Amino acid sequence: MTRAIRNYFVFLRRCAAVAFVGDWRYYAWTGLLSAICLLGLNAYCRQFAHGLIVTGMSDEVSWGVYIANFTFLVGVAAAAVMMVIPVYIYNNEELHDLVIFGELLAVAAILMCLAFVTVDLGRPDRFWHLIPGIGQFNFPKSMLSWDVIVLNGYLLLNVHICGYLLYCRYRKTKPGKWFYIPFVFIAIVWAVSIHTVTAFLYVGLGGRPFWNSSIVGPRFLASAFTAGPALIILAMQVVRRVTSYSPAGVGSGPSSGDTTQFSKRRAATLEDFALLERDLRELSSVSTETRQLLLPMMEVLEVQTGDALLRQGETSDRAFLILHGSVVVIKEENGRFRVTRTAGPGEQIGEVSALHATPRMATAVAEEPSVVFSMSTEALRLLMKSPSVNKIVRSRMYERLLITDRALMTLRSIVQVSMLINVFLLLNEVFKEFYSGNLHVISSKYLFVGLDGHHALVPWIWTAIAFNLIAMVLLLLPVSRSLKWLNVTCVLAIVGIWIEKGMGLVIPGFIPTPLGEMMEYRPSLNETLVCFGIWAFGLLCYTIFLRMSVPILQGRLSRDNEEPHTWPGKTSSAVPTANPLNSL
Amino acid sequence: MDKPPSHPVNNPAPPPHLPSRRSFLRTSAILTTGLAALAASLKPLLEMNDFPTMERFLQKYYKEMTPQDMDKVLARIADETEKQYGLRPHVRDLKPMNGVEYVYCLNLTRCIGCRKCVHACVAENNQSRDPEIQYIRVLKLPDGSLDVDKADHFYASETVPQKGFFYMPVQCQQCKNPPCVKVCPVHATWQEADGITVIDYDWCIGCRYCEAACPYWARRFNFTQPSIPKDRLNPDMAYLGNRPRRQGVMEKCHFCIQRTRAGRYPACLEICPAGARKFGNILDPNSEVSYILRSKRVFIQLKEEMGTSPRFFYYFDV
Repeated sequence: MTRAIRNYFVFLRRCAAVAFVGDWRYYAWTGLLSAICLLGLNAYCRQFAHGLIVTGMSDEVSWGVYIANFTFLVGVAAAAVMMVIPVYIYNNEELHDLVIFGELLAVAAILMCLAFVTVDLGRPDRFWHLIPGIGQFNFPKSMLSWDVIVLNGYLLLNVHICGYLLYCRYRKTKPGKWFYIPFVFIAIVWAVSIHTVTAFLYVGLGGRPFWNSSIVGPRFLASAFTAGPALIILAMQVVRRVTSYSPAGVGSGPSSGDTTQFSKRRAATLEDFALLERDLRELSSVSTETRQLLLPMMEVLEVQTGDALLRQGETSDRAFLILHGSVVVIKEENGRFRVTRTAGPGEQIGEVSALHATPRMATAVAEEPSVVFSMSTEALRLLMKSPSVNKIVRSRMYERLLITDRALMTLRSIVQVSMLINVFLLLNEVFKEFYSGNLHVISSKYLFVGLDGHHALVPWIWTAIAFNLIAMVLLLLPVSRSLKWLNVTCVLAIVGIWIEKGMGLVIPGFIPTPLGEMMEYRPSLNETLVCFGIWAFGLLCYTIFLRMSVPILQGRLSRDNEEPHTWPGKTSSAVPTANPLNSL
Repeated sequence: MDKPPSHPVNNPAPPPHLPSRRSFLRTSAILTTGLAALAASLKPLLEMNDFPTMERFLQKYYKEMTPQDMDKVLARIADETEKQYGLRPHVRDLKPMNGVEYVYCLNLTRCIGCRKCVHACVAENNQSRDPEIQYIRVLKLPDGSLDVDKADHFYASETVPQKGFFYMPVQCQQCKNPPCVKVCPVHATWQEADGITVIDYDWCIGCRYCEAACPYWARRFNFTQPSIPKDRLNPDMAYLGNRPRRQGVMEKCHFCIQRTRAGRYPACLEICPAGARKFGNILDPNSEVSYILRSKRVFIQLKEEMGTSPRFFYYFDV
């Protein structure tokens, strides 16, 4: 037990260490975000000292950009997890790795939500009055108390799911289904609930006719499903880009194109099997007779740093098992190179193309002097006759960091459908408001056309509508199948929905006041700085989460490289182990 | 891709767990800069003039306080007020009286829109003068319409009343079914047995959800530390009533709890030169308000369709 805890702390410590390591782009980006965070913190301290008077809010418009951002981000958080559905319910393999990124985005979004709610409080020092059991919790009457429960519960659920899956990946063990699948399903329902509850915050107020409409809940979900996946499409391309290697790294690495020419090769022995078994316990089920049978079909290669075991596009019947060292798998896509994973001792390389007799999907290059088993397809098939070996090899075939264009296109179709529904629901709302023409239309009039010379929100809402419509048309056209246009579309959709759902929903609900007073709202500079600070904080969190999880998913940060592993066949002092973090 | 550095055998790299001097200097430089930036961004906290003390931070919820707890809190409030305003107030925790349910009636035929009630209320209830907080808003409406969207909130005519208009003062309607109480996440506002919806100013977290929920725009928020001239402080105070509030909490009309629970009329009623305001116990059949609600054929509960069932009734003489 204590050992398990110790191991877990080692994992956390190493993750934390990774967060501080990166190239200059990483330092520049996190440095910039930290600086903006501090600016926001400074602005918040001013607000804390002087009160909410430093914001643009008033008794007339008593909620502003804080709550607007909160509402938008709840949607992002909800949608990020709904991506789980295609993976676990429809078994869509393309989205498999995206799930973890989606859930991490949900975690970052919820942290931002909580920050936005906190800065909106007049007495943040009394937060403990909200804690059930200690304070006075008006549950189930107040929708805000529901929100406290669902948001914090959602945070815990996602932290658990991501943390557990990443820890399993780190230990290279298969996640126990009971430890996460039930939580995944709870999280899916929970995602709908956080959004519905947030919509109910507004819908439940009879005194505010602009909000008191049952379509607000469905509209929230539709817009969330548009903005959330759109944000993931953009984030995943950033991940893809920053985890890519420059073409020079691979092109100039292995100079000899002939992969069969290695400096050292020898026949495999039973001792090699015994050594492999240390890292691949499943081998113990393979009998000595089978091993004897396998030996003639295998050989042991000793490769140097930069040697390529296999190359993308080639066809070959060889598969590899790593005895010692580490091999990096690099995939070329659209002229860019990207590390999809790193294989360490006990792991296989090239088995997919060998088994299916298809061209190599990627290039595998030794990133340190390594020793590998090379075997024919026949040998691999024989090895996989053992059920336990079969299971481990098959399970590892799917655990790869693949952000393919097809996965992005799947997300595109989600955005496409949701955007259509979103615009449709908006039209419904506009029709009801303007056609019936009763006195309750007054807030909508203020929002869309202005009222008695007050029209601060008019340009905003029309920008939002224009952005949404352009995004919708682009999504319907085949042009958005190209990533360039898809990105433009996503940005338009996110900005459009941010305005529509944030400023366009929260602010006009207050204007005019229930007593008919016209008072406009404009966020103050201080308030804006706090918002920027929180967004920077959220992005910083997400950056750090990705910084930790990408190497884990690639297999570059794992339990195997916790301590420098010494290979008995070599003099250990001759080649100092490179700090594994340097090359993450 | 970083290649592992190839060190010559006779020149071993420093052990990885011992940082080199250069990296140590670099780390400490980054740390110092970071801490300095953090300290600089926290600086505005020094401008705070009202640091919450541990005693105030841990203060119990109104309904959970024992009489001893309450005495201590009242003494502390008196001390703090004396320190701030140089005047020792008389702070009480007045409880609702048995068999009493307060109701307010306002005669719209009589109201002349002089706003004397607004200012009497400010003076009585120690409302902030800067920024200005007022519990009563007088609407100037064209004859014939109760549509508040047609109201003039900021009329400034030389004389009142003006022909063709009537005046409707709006304050907390003391609903039987108050939306503000329902939405408060921490029970900081509730309805008392005598029908008055009160706020524990020391429990409110300032989320302003009640302000969004109120259909009468009756609630006011302290966007900053309220300020009252020292010589204007009303020293006759109640815990749930007019004691000084702090920054970041909600307040509203409480039917002058410090007066009405001690058998007096609300300040707005006393000042009214037109006799438009009537206040009393609806459970007493001989009270003025009982008589009004019995004898008038039409009276108005503002925004009746909200189902809030206000205890504030508007009526006409005719």
